[in-house]
Amino acid sequence: MLDIQKTLKNLGIENINLGVSTGAEWFDTTGKTESSSSPIDGKEIAQVKTATLDDYEKVVQKAQAAFKEWRLVPAPVRGEIVRQIGNALREYKDDLGALVSYEMGKVYQEGLGEVQEMIDICDFAVGQSRLINGVALQSERPQHRLSEQYHPLGIIGIVTSYNFPVAVWAWNSALAAIAGDVVIWKPSSKTPLTAVATQKIIRQVLIDNNVPEGVFNLVVGRSSVMGDNFLADKRIPLFSITGSTAVGKRAAEIVGRRLGNTLLELGGNNAVIITPEADIPMAVMSTVFGTVGTAGQRCTSTRRVIIHESIYNQVRDSFVKAYEKIATKIGNPLVDGNLVGPVIDVHSVNAFLDAVKKVQEEGGKILFGGQHLEGKGYESGNYVVPCIAEAENHYHIVQEETFAPIVYFIKYSGDVQNAIDLQNDVPQGLSSAIFTLNVREAETFISQTGSDCGIANVNLGTSGAEIGGAFGGEKETGGGRESGSDAWKIYMRRQTNTINYGTKLPLAQGIKFDI
Amino acid sequence: MISKTITIEDLVEEYPFSVQYLADKGIRCIKCGEPIWGTLEEACKEKGFDVEKIDFFVKELNELNEINNL
Repeated sequence: MLDIQKTLKNLGIENINLGVSTGAEWFDTTGKTESSSSPIDGKEIAQVKTATLDDYEKVVQKAQAAFKEWRLVPAPVRGEIVRQIGNALREYKDDLGALVSYEMGKVYQEGLGEVQEMIDICDFAVGQSRLINGVALQSERPQHRLSEQYHPLGIIGIVTSYNFPVAVWAWNSALAAIAGDVVIWKPSSKTPLTAVATQKIIRQVLIDNNVPEGVFNLVVGRSSVMGDNFLADKRIPLFSITGSTAVGKRAAEIVGRRLGNTLLELGGNNAVIITPEADIPMAVMSTVFGTVGTAGQRCTSTRRVIIHESIYNQVRDSFVKAYEKIATKIGNPLVDGNLVGPVIDVHSVNAFLDAVKKVQEEGGKILFGGQHLEGKGYESGNYVVPCIAEAENHYHIVQEETFAPIVYFIKYSGDVQNAIDLQNDVPQGLSSAIFTLNVREAETFISQTGSDCGIANVNLGTSGAEIGGAFGGEKETGGGRESGSDAWKIYMRRQTNTINYGTKLPLAQGIKFDI
Repeated sequence: MISKTITIEDLVEEYPFSVQYLADKGIRCIKCGEPIWGTLEEACKEKGFDVEKIDFFVKELNELNEINNL
């Protein structure tokens, strides 16, 4: 069992913490002091002083000034700062991982994994800092050179959610930093302490390298301070928002009204298809992590399992057996061996119980779990037994994303296209997977007639993405891509350059304009 | 005192019973585990409720709050 008091001390978390920083400097603020409690035991961890509108204004002005300096620093030099941030995170991996687990409720192994993801994106960004490139194109005009290049964009607003309280900040800020941008981070109101701890971890790197104040900004604030006004602020050209579809729609509307840009990573309703040609034990093992990992609170958690009718009973029985074992490992996620921790709060418990009730009202059947746990070890009131429910895809509750460990089993018949059609028949489009050893089924699934999601996997589950690939989804998931691949481009503005190194002035399309 | 201009974030924190009350009307205050952004009035309008109905919800929420405080 981890010593949380020691963890807090190592991370510099005090009883009352400041919630606004521009890098090395922290500001005392007069906003409401918020308490952060652990969903594990319900105890208050510490408090954070939140920002006022005046504090926010000071940070934006600092960020604007910092951008003017930071954009002039060569990208590989910016990459070197990010490399050192990655190393600082390595040094504090165990402590930050423990705090992620304690404040958010995920098992310690996943807390460590989250910090590793931060380290990985720093490494990725360091390499990318030497690879920011444009293209040389062929001009139709003689002695003209046509090319594209990328320039820093400005201030990037980052809004993160409680389920990945620090990794998503790293995905965005590591790439934004090497791109020459500055960031303003609004963390989830449920997990402000992990944000404060992260900002403290990077502080010494910023001081050692004389990074201008205002490149890495943190503003812990309520939605009345860091809500619509933040989104409407014309000084911020890009917002990266992770959260619900409802929040994303609101943000897109407000930012879009001023023609700003958004990178949205919103809700998912992720399905796994298991065909008669699957390696069933492998499919079950992999899918169970997707359904109960992080207590079903990942954007990529598996919400639906679409199973061919010929193997349905076999898959169902294997799942139930696996869930019976998991039910003995629900508890304090900081205790080694426990696999399922709490959900974030009582509202999430109620949403879970409501979904269990609704699926039955619509004609579904509970195959396992669905209970609220009480008694010794569950005093916080935030623990539930993960639920498997037999359902049909068109049920209203199945079409929604319930951010809790409930999975719907859906039968299909005929060929794989029928399963794909069911999978695609939801409003969301984040992650998807198929288990099959048949190359025709696998290729169909990832073809243009296959999954309509941003992520489509073969023989692995829907969750647990690595940072090398672009992460994001389609439809109500928002369309954004962050982290790997060419996601860096969204943090920069593209400029097309035409240079005439000749002595004549030919016009494009052969237009004559002789004076 | 609950007003229709209260943010959902404040409503959820200060009057947690409101979450279930509004859920029963088809208004979800919590999505993906976090309070939605905006005011009570905006959340109700999003679901198609008119001014009269919103005023009625506010009145009932305040009555529930009084009962809870007894």
